[in-house]
Amino acid sequence: MSTPQNVKREEEEVDEVNSVASVAINDKLVNRNVARTIDLTSQLVKITTSITLENTGKDTVRTFHIVQEPNAVGTLSYISVKDSLKDDLKLERLTDENENKVFYNVNLKQPIGPGRTTTVTLEEVLTQSLLPYPSSITQKEKQLVRYFGNHYFYTPYVTTKQKTEVTLNSRSVESYSKLKPVSQSDSTIAYGPYSNIQPFTEDQMIIHFESNAPFLTVTRLERLIEISHWGNIAVEENIEIRHTGAKLKGPFSRYDYQRDSSSTHHSIKSYRTILPASAHSIYYRDSNGNISTSTVRPRKDYIELELRPRFPLFGGWRSSYTLGYSVPSYQYLFKQPNGEYVLIMRLIDHVFDDMYVEELETSIVLPVGVKNVKIETPYEVERLPDGVTYKYLDTIGRTIITLRKQNLVEQHIQDVEITYNWSTNLLFHEPLLLSIGLFVLFIIVIIYVRLDFSLNKSEHTKRD
Amino acid sequence: MVQAGSKKSAISKINSKTGISSLIIFVVLLLAWIAGFSSRLFAVIRFESIIHEFDPWFNYRATAYMVKNGFYNFLNWFDERAWYPLGRIVGGTVYPGLMLTSGSIHYILHLLHINVHIRDICVFLAPVFSGLTAISTYFLTKELWSAGAGLFAACFIAIVPGYISRSVAGSYDNEGIAIFALQFTYFLWIKSVKTGSVFWAVAASLSYFYMVSAWGGYVFIINLIPLHVFVLLLMGRFSNRLFTSYTTFYILGLILSMQIPFVGFQPIRTSEHMAASGVFALMFAVGFLKYLQTMMSKSEFKSLVIFGGFVSAGIVFSTVVILTYAGYVAPWSGRFYSLWDTGYAKIHIPIIASVSEHQPTTWFSFFFDLHVLIATFPAGLWYTIKNINDERVFVVLYALSAVYFAGVMVRLMLTLTPVVCILSGIAFSGLLELVLREDDNVRSEDSEEEEQSTPNKRLYDKLPKEAKTKSKSGKSVGKASAPQVAGRVPKIKHEPSKESDGIGPNIRSAVTVVILLLLMLFAVHCTWVTSNAYSSPSIVLASYGSDGSRQILDDFREAYFWLSQNTADDARVMSWWDYGYQIAGMANRTTLVDNNTWNNSHIALVGKAMSSNESAAYEIMTALDVDYVLVIFGGVIGYSGDDINKFLWMVRIAEGEHPKDIRESDYFTEQGEFRIDEEGSPTLLNCLMYKLCYYRFGELKLDYRTPAGFDRTRNAVIGNKDFQLTYLEEAYTTEHWLVRVYRVKKPDEFNRPRIPVANRIIKSPSFVSKKSTKRKKGTIKNKPVVVKGKRLSTKQ
Repeated sequence: MSTPQNVKREEEEVDEVNSVASVAINDKLVNRNVARTIDLTSQLVKITTSITLENTGKDTVRTFHIVQEPNAVGTLSYISVKDSLKDDLKLERLTDENENKVFYNVNLKQPIGPGRTTTVTLEEVLTQSLLPYPSSITQKEKQLVRYFGNHYFYTPYVTTKQKTEVTLNSRSVESYSKLKPVSQSDSTIAYGPYSNIQPFTEDQMIIHFESNAPFLTVTRLERLIEISHWGNIAVEENIEIRHTGAKLKGPFSRYDYQRDSSSTHHSIKSYRTILPASAHSIYYRDSNGNISTSTVRPRKDYIELELRPRFPLFGGWRSSYTLGYSVPSYQYLFKQPNGEYVLIMRLIDHVFDDMYVEELETSIVLPVGVKNVKIETPYEVERLPDGVTYKYLDTIGRTIITLRKQNLVEQHIQDVEITYNWSTNLLFHEPLLLSIGLFVLFIIVIIYVRLDFSLNKSEHTKRD
Repeated sequence: MVQAGSKKSAISKINSKTGISSLIIFVVLLLAWIAGFSSRLFAVIRFESIIHEFDPWFNYRATAYMVKNGFYNFLNWFDERAWYPLGRIVGGTVYPGLMLTSGSIHYILHLLHINVHIRDICVFLAPVFSGLTAISTYFLTKELWSAGAGLFAACFIAIVPGYISRSVAGSYDNEGIAIFALQFTYFLWIKSVKTGSVFWAVAASLSYFYMVSAWGGYVFIINLIPLHVFVLLLMGRFSNRLFTSYTTFYILGLILSMQIPFVGFQPIRTSEHMAASGVFALMFAVGFLKYLQTMMSKSEFKSLVIFGGFVSAGIVFSTVVILTYAGYVAPWSGRFYSLWDTGYAKIHIPIIASVSEHQPTTWFSFFFDLHVLIATFPAGLWYTIKNINDERVFVVLYALSAVYFAGVMVRLMLTLTPVVCILSGIAFSGLLELVLREDDNVRSEDSEEEEQSTPNKRLYDKLPKEAKTKSKSGKSVGKASAPQVAGRVPKIKHEPSKESDGIGPNIRSAVTVVILLLLMLFAVHCTWVTSNAYSSPSIVLASYGSDGSRQILDDFREAYFWLSQNTADDARVMSWWDYGYQIAGMANRTTLVDNNTWNNSHIALVGKAMSSNESAAYEIMTALDVDYVLVIFGGVIGYSGDDINKFLWMVRIAEGEHPKDIRESDYFTEQGEFRIDEEGSPTLLNCLMYKLCYYRFGELKLDYRTPAGFDRTRNAVIGNKDFQLTYLEEAYTTEHWLVRVYRVKKPDEFNRPRIPVANRIIKSPSFVSKKSTKRKKGTIKNKPVVVKGKRLSTKQ
């Protein structure tokens, strides 16, 4: 999956948070046209906003600001801005202490000259923003969720024209806020166009609709990557999942569940996990042993794993499992010309489509006796203190690097790069140890058999 | 002794050949180990590395606890998750040998940084120990008879189904290591009787200590060894060797066995152990008499012996009786009574009788578990009786007592199996000796080398001298049987034509061929039985479709995992005691009763709840703080070991404690049948267990041929189909309905009973506005009443 070519760092890194007294807003910038698409088909809220910025001032503009909606703070998992050439732009996070707002300072690659316009695409993924309402339902009821948003694009600039399209995953909409002009057709609701909106305008958008998308949250994902220079990398993921949709109220009836074969159930029977194409020795188990209900389907350039938890997951139910596999190391571990080794592996991998991971802890077990470990992560992660572990006859411990991050989505599936120095001789450390051990054992046996240790000679011969 | 002495000269002559003979012994034992290990892996290969059945789950849980918290915390472990609300003192009510064994293996492997999970150690412990059992059986048989018989016995015990049944991979139970300890103790005991050395007696008592720590069956040892000594005394075979070994063994064994918390003071306070101390006293009496004998005349001595014997026997017996009545010595426990009187348990302790492995053995299972050995072992017994000596008395007693016990209880088949293997080994060895003994010392020089190079060569026809016969036939026999146990039976092909001269070569070769055929069949039978009967983990079921495809029914783990994930951590689960250990091990939830059936009245209470009607059961369940009830129901897939089939035992056990509330006869029809269909007794059709098993089952139509609510296990349509539960609600049912979990409702959830719509009295508002929406039918004020043929009344 991951080849040396995409080693290139992606540029959308969000840097450290800068706290400033107040953010200087360039009031000469105007959002000439804003087109938003709010995708509510999954458990995530994916907002894609295409902004046409116009510089009405006299100076060339190199940066502009994006501000987070106040109700989206904390649920924003991923944000990226692309310019018209689909290049990622660099974001810098600022907190405005006066107004308690979170700004992102975006550096444009091509500055906007006076009177010129440019188009950027803002992509945001929000988690935990679709709230089941009612919050608990019986087995037969349908799952309804509410989305609370903003009719207007929340921006520090004046917006000349704006329209919003909301995509739902079913036609049955209970209610939606009607800020005219608004129209619903099939499973989309179109708001707007609205014109001449002042900066920081808020107007609550509420959409209450039926959603049978799997509301599955990975509450904790522990990913363990273990490198062996004999040519294997073992990956093990300990996953705790929870159905975060509407809670199941009342009994669970197997009879009703079996009779009702329609797929519009809000329960989760199974989901697909995608593994690298070279993955082998796959296992899927939990604390009680192997879970016998999984299928592996090799596809052209990946392996599809259909996982069925031991029981169907209803709202509020939890489950946990361990998924492990091995991949050959030549696809992920490279030797640099200067003798350093580089491991390029995903910090987090696919669990299911439109996944939401509350907490990730990735541990990387490096080989015995590594030196000068350097880590480069695609985004900001918390690095926990290094640990030491011992495996198979180790006399020197192995370093474990542990990284932690909260609130992740699919867009976070990116590579982490670990560079270290390691001498090849250490590969023969354990085999040598084992050979010496066996050699000593045989010598002892030989000596014991050849020499007579008994005090009484006749007694000894009698024994045989 | 005699053999060994005569062998000495022979061996010293052919010193170069001792290496080869020990190599053969080594290879055979190694192969026996490998064969024994690998034939126990069926379950692991077919399913996975998993702990089987019921008791092993507790042992595994205890081992995991010990590994996690250390040995001393384990000894002090009070398990508040079992026997709610009583709890269980685990450290003091468990034989810790098993946990210690796997715990120390785990410790050593982790010292070497081989990070094996404790579960895998537990799973593979019994197969590994089967190899050790084979080796100790070899040594024991070698001491009793010859090395050849030993190799035979080792190969037999490695693959015999009677032992495999308790030691397959995953069957992590006390018996797995106890049989090794048993055989090894016996070996060391025989060794100490033969040599009379304190060293071997101490070794025997240490091994006995290990046995005590591992299994309650140590009582068998502490009764059999005194019996051996007693019989030797009766036979007039008293010797200083016997005196030394028994006194050393008894005292050390007594002190050591009392170190196990679970055993404690039992060795001096219960009747089961009194025989050993009686023999100990007798030993001294006899020793004293022997000493007096040297000083007295024959007639004086004779009268003294008779007088003193009676007096001392009387004193010992009355002491025991008095101590028993005074309460210092506990009388025989119920389990032991049931060994003498097979009907005892059924009347007095239904809980013991309810366990299938406590039933008397059927003739069929003797053959099933031992195959040809059951036929050959009397021959071996005959051989030993004919050539009796001190240690052979032991094996005769061992055989006789084990046969009796195996006949009484299926479970004790396990103690019979080793002795059957020993005696069959002796029988086969003796038979082959007889058949293959020849006087051709022509080929004796180069025979050993040929044996190594050509496996197809005749193996039994070059044993020159009497002295050499035994050891050599043993070796060659062992070599022949080794490949068999490794599963390659047909490799040894015997051409009778190669049989040379001698009297009756045809008979000789025919017998050889028959023996080999028998052994082949034995190996095949063992493999077949192991594969088909003893290799099911029983928590994972497999069903085979008509096309041979395998379907795994994983309902048990599904339900237990559901419990572990989706119930409160302190939730209390009520189920029949069979599933207690599994719930604790796999779901990690508090149970009311489990397989450690120490409290009969608590079990009876659960049985009473299961066999009462819903509201009476609810009272018991609230009294016991039950949150969930778990039942096993096999009616959908036709699983016969479910709770409805066990139900009568619940009723019986409940009746034993609560005879006023529960009567077994209420659950039968007037014809005395146990039926679940419409003709079943109303008490049964309305009891909690019935309702929990069949809740909403009446609506389920399994296939087109059978009506809805057809129970496949009992082949009947259920009698009570349409009912609702008031006090419980279905919390989870597994895919094949095998495990059903119900939640006990809290009082506020059912105190408002549902009234059928027809009976509801709904207060309707008395005033209905007439001026409502347009759609409402209008009324006209002062509407004239029109009666045909009359004038309008209002029109005045």
